[in-house]
Amino acid sequence: MPTDTDQGSEIARSTYVVVPAFNEGAAIGDVLAELVRVYPNVVVVDDGSTDGTFDAARAVTPYVLRHALNRGQGAALQTGVDFALRREAKYVVTFDADGQHRVEDIRALLEPLAGGACDVTLGSRFLGVKSQMPRSRRLLLRMAVLFTRITSRLPITDAHNGLRAFTRAAAERLDISMDRMEHASEVLDIIRRCRLRFREVPVQIRYTDYSLGKGQSARDALRVLLHYLIGRAVR
Amino acid sequence: MNPWQLNPFQIVLLLLIAGLLAGGVLALLKGWLRRRDAILWLLVWTAGAIAVVRPDVTSVIADLLGIGRGADLVFYCAIPILSFGIWMLYIRLRRVRREITLLVRQMAILEGELSARGDAGSRSQGPSPRGPSAP
Repeated sequence: MPTDTDQGSEIARSTYVVVPAFNEGAAIGDVLAELVRVYPNVVVVDDGSTDGTFDAARAVTPYVLRHALNRGQGAALQTGVDFALRREAKYVVTFDADGQHRVEDIRALLEPLAGGACDVTLGSRFLGVKSQMPRSRRLLLRMAVLFTRITSRLPITDAHNGLRAFTRAAAERLDISMDRMEHASEVLDIIRRCRLRFREVPVQIRYTDYSLGKGQSARDALRVLLHYLIGRAVR
Repeated sequence: MNPWQLNPFQIVLLLLIAGLLAGGVLALLKGWLRRRDAILWLLVWTAGAIAVVRPDVTSVIADLLGIGRGADLVFYCAIPILSFGIWMLYIRLRRVRREITLLVRQMAILEGELSARGDAGSRSQGPSPRGPSAP
């Protein structure tokens, strides 16, 4: 039993887990099956996939939204958050579809929110137990963290970690306009602009060949950086 | 120099500009463009026509500005103007992309609401076909 108290399961019932997915048909079924066991409200946003993502997700959860066109992860997240808010979510969690996040980490993200300690929790793979991570990826992430600290002016230890949790009030402030990967920096900008109280929570990332293949390369990182800067300049 | 002794190149360019001018006037009269923009375009095309018919005019201005040749002046002016045009196009493209996203989002949420509602009525059917299923 993953939640040992009634309060815990009450929180789980009022939590909506948003999973953006683009061509994740191979892995998403297992990821979702693990999720719905603890969190019954899982919202998958199929971002215009051309594989079996939609059907694989539909077999597990009734809440599968479909983007008619591929719009990017940021756009998919905002769609899922909007949907969750229409359905009386008290907490909104964002979770990656490729299996890199651990379901058991969600609870640690929700606890500070339920206790009223903060409005947003962000998963950090650089706090607590170290995730096993390839060296090149670690270097790239360190640079991304440094850059994000400068632009967001928030003392964070991880960047572009897709595992986050929001209270309803915080989720209502979300208005992601950067459709692609640069949304991760935009979320931090929103946190700062709206003066949301946030806390980082140690999480572990499961680096599998599948999730690594889905990850971002150094060249992608440069592209994301450029789009982010332009996005900030011409909002 | 007799300004009406035009070479074939000048004639082709002038015909082109005449077409653009006509388009600009039409746009102004029909309200396709904002008044200010339409007038700006008309001025640009008129200046172009003058430069084609009397290339020496550009040389005079170039001399005043300390640029060697009139052709260089035209070249130097064209670069920032074209860059600005591309930038404006890019901004517009971003806006269109944003609008597409909002539209796609709206459709996704509506379809999701409908199919979730349909599901609540007939939960036992397993994976339902695409789109909202009848209750």
